Amino acid sequence: MNRPSEQTQSNPLREGLSVRAVPQPCCIVIFGATGDLTHRKLIPALYNLAADGELPPAVTVVGFARRPKGDDEFRRELEETTRKFSRQSVRDEIWKMFAQSIFYHQSEFEDEAGYKSLADKLEKIDRERGTRGNRLFYFAVAPDQFEPILKNLKTAGLNKTREGSWARVIVEKPFGTDLASARQLNRVVSNSFTEEQTYRIDHFLGKETAQNILVLRFANAIFEPLWNTRYIDHVQITAAETLGVEGRAGYYEGAGALRDMVQNHLLQLLCLTAMEAPTDLGADSIRDEKVKVVRSLRRMTAQDVVNKVIRGQYQKGAINGKPVTSYRAEKNVDPKSMTETFVALRLNIDNWRWWDVPIYMRVGKRLPKSGTEISVHFKKAPLVLFNKESTDENVLVIRIQPDEGISLRMQAKMPGTSFRIEPVKMDFHYGTSFGKASPEAYERLLLDAMGGDATLFARCDEVEEAWAFIDTIENAWATKKDAPELFFYPAGSWGPDAADELLARDGRAWRRL
Amino acid sequence: MPAVAESYSLGLPVEIDKIDNELKKLWAESEGVMTRASLINLAVYSEAPGALEKNTQLIAKIAENHACRAIVIGADCKASDNRVEAWISAHCHVSRTGSKQICSEQLSFRLEGPCANLLPSIVFSHLDSDLPFYFWWQDELHDPMDPQLWAWVDRFIYDSHGWKDFRAQMQLVETAQREAKQRIVLCDLNWTRLDRIRYAVAQFFDHPASHHHFSEIENVQIDFAPGFKSTAVLFVGWLGAQLNWNVEDGQGGNNFKFVDPTGRTIDIELHEQGEAPIGKTVLDSGGIEFVVAPASCEDLFEVWRSGPNEKPLPQMMPAQSNDAVSLMNQELMRGAPHHVYLRAVNCVRELF
Repeated sequence: MNRPSEQTQSNPLREGLSVRAVPQPCCIVIFGATGDLTHRKLIPALYNLAADGELPPAVTVVGFARRPKGDDEFRRELEETTRKFSRQSVRDEIWKMFAQSIFYHQSEFEDEAGYKSLADKLEKIDRERGTRGNRLFYFAVAPDQFEPILKNLKTAGLNKTREGSWARVIVEKPFGTDLASARQLNRVVSNSFTEEQTYRIDHFLGKETAQNILVLRFANAIFEPLWNTRYIDHVQITAAETLGVEGRAGYYEGAGALRDMVQNHLLQLLCLTAMEAPTDLGADSIRDEKVKVVRSLRRMTAQDVVNKVIRGQYQKGAINGKPVTSYRAEKNVDPKSMTETFVALRLNIDNWRWWDVPIYMRVGKRLPKSGTEISVHFKKAPLVLFNKESTDENVLVIRIQPDEGISLRMQAKMPGTSFRIEPVKMDFHYGTSFGKASPEAYERLLLDAMGGDATLFARCDEVEEAWAFIDTIENAWATKKDAPELFFYPAGSWGPDAADELLARDGRAWRRL
Repeated sequence: MPAVAESYSLGLPVEIDKIDNELKKLWAESEGVMTRASLINLAVYSEAPGALEKNTQLIAKIAENHACRAIVIGADCKASDNRVEAWISAHCHVSRTGSKQICSEQLSFRLEGPCANLLPSIVFSHLDSDLPFYFWWQDELHDPMDPQLWAWVDRFIYDSHGWKDFRAQMQLVETAQREAKQRIVLCDLNWTRLDRIRYAVAQFFDHPASHHHFSEIENVQIDFAPGFKSTAVLFVGWLGAQLNWNVEDGQGGNNFKFVDPTGRTIDIELHEQGEAPIGKTVLDSGGIEFVVAPASCEDLFEVWRSGPNEKPLPQMMPAQSNDAVSLMNQELMRGAPHHVYLRAVNCVRELF
């Protein structure tokens, strides 16, 4: 991670500098340029990279979308939203220069002629701005638009590269809705771009704390010897949100929490937590180890799904004292919707390291608190000497967001003449220790894609293996007869009681966030 | 909380042997309200009058980004009376998430008279255990240095810009480093001053297609502000060390000649003009000019390359501020040994 890729190390002036090499000049074509993602994330991320001097001046952005508008209007709109969403405040002198590298291209996604004129425009940009034929196509559109865009890119010859230049495509999630559609999507993409050219983005992997999981595990000698079935009792991964569907009902109704969060973000976090040490930090070395984790997930039978997966949906309740409506009463949601807004799962990884170590995951909307964390619960010390009455175990918590950091719970003697034991916490907070704010996930990921580093992007086989696992659950839920129950929980609670019972059956409980 | 430094006072006066107890009290009083944070021991030593107060202000700012236990020492070795005074204080700021007060503690010492020799013992007694020890020395270095002290230092921070005799001072630093068996990382703030401009120049050559320019550089022009010639020379040392140039003629005042491994000559011209420590810098290579120039707003560079058949695409890049807080913040974020610095120094040692 953060290794040179095609930016060779042969620039001797780079040695010892704390900032990575700038990527090669390129033209970034954003499909869906008038959408939310472009305005809230992509352009602010590119602006921040430019402001930090991490982009070469020739990098050019071409927004591709249906609505008619000119370059100036597009730039004005982007300036407004960048000022609102940028990590650092927008400075006029930097924006002015950055804006000159932004262009708008109006076309329907299905219109072949629009891609021909795009190709002409890119050629012109290459000549005038020195982007050297390097192209990064960003698909900030719904998956049903991928096929026409890819087909037309191919027809226009934009998937091909001149010698010494490159073309890459970044694909946003959701990458499919099940294994069949993911395979189909992979086929569609591979018709136009090779796997090496394809970057499937999962913004969770761009977060500093997600990357720090590998550093924690493999740069510290004390954890790895304990990181196995001999010392670990179980692992919990939680992604809790106070928010509801917030205008995403159209998508969410068809997806649900399992597809929206577990298939990608949570399984990615699990992979980083459970993978073996890679042979090196190369993209494929890391991804090889990650995919082995997904492959090792014990597949569930229909009965397993009943016993080990709890799905829930929020009803009306209150968040932070404010009443909120039920999921079924949200705008654009079917009043009889069976879409899950909460999932809790008990997983097993069938390999030597994780044999007999249950992995509990939960994800939900309208929970009392927002937070994503991984907690590793170690086995208890023998119940002799000090621990005869103690029930607490050592817990290592990796907080992904917010308040990123790591804490370790351990037992300590309470002051006094008798031996009374209480749990205490050693706590490391990124925000306390390092004053500097981390870059946004999209900044890191865009820079990686421009630099040809695919480490933090999902590979085709990772995605398909993840869907293969998720499909067994979705299929069980979809059966007409004896389908597992959908439990309801009041908004502002920690999910249905059945989720607590899932752990209680094993003599365990969810960690309190 | 009288010890919390709000107006950059030195805080609560304490007896030197009761510092630990007073610190405990300080944190006990503020428990639940403030979080004590510390990633490094940062000792600051100065013999300049008023340095304790000035450095307290600097630490207050630096601690916002680098939680530390600061040990600030003001010494007056020429005073006739022997006197040691100590204070404790805490610098607090609200965390990024806005939920907590994050505090770094500061221990201040005023040493007067021969007791200034107590420096090692004072430092050793008050280091936060297991944390790295960074020592910021703000004056000219004395000869001989205390070998005991150097054995403990992880990073030695100084600013060669203020040195009257660079070669003699550098020799002392290198001796200290040798005595510490090379363990000390040398951190010259004069080198840190070059961090951003090195980056701005380096990025021109990231693309392999630009690499041929290395062997075609004919002329380098560097503007420097009055008093910053050493910074400019260090910058030349960096180019020379990294591109395998050797000094051919260093006798020309502000003009030098270097020679590359093929025997080709490179002319270096330093111009004392402008206000930025390093101002406009131009590398001329085979008719292409690579230019880094201070922008109208001081904290940015305007960066471009131009040539006969090229349309310049200017870009703004962050420039390095020259104030002590920015330099320290930058230096403390860098980590790792500075091998390139030592090579740069060696390349131009004879030019200082």
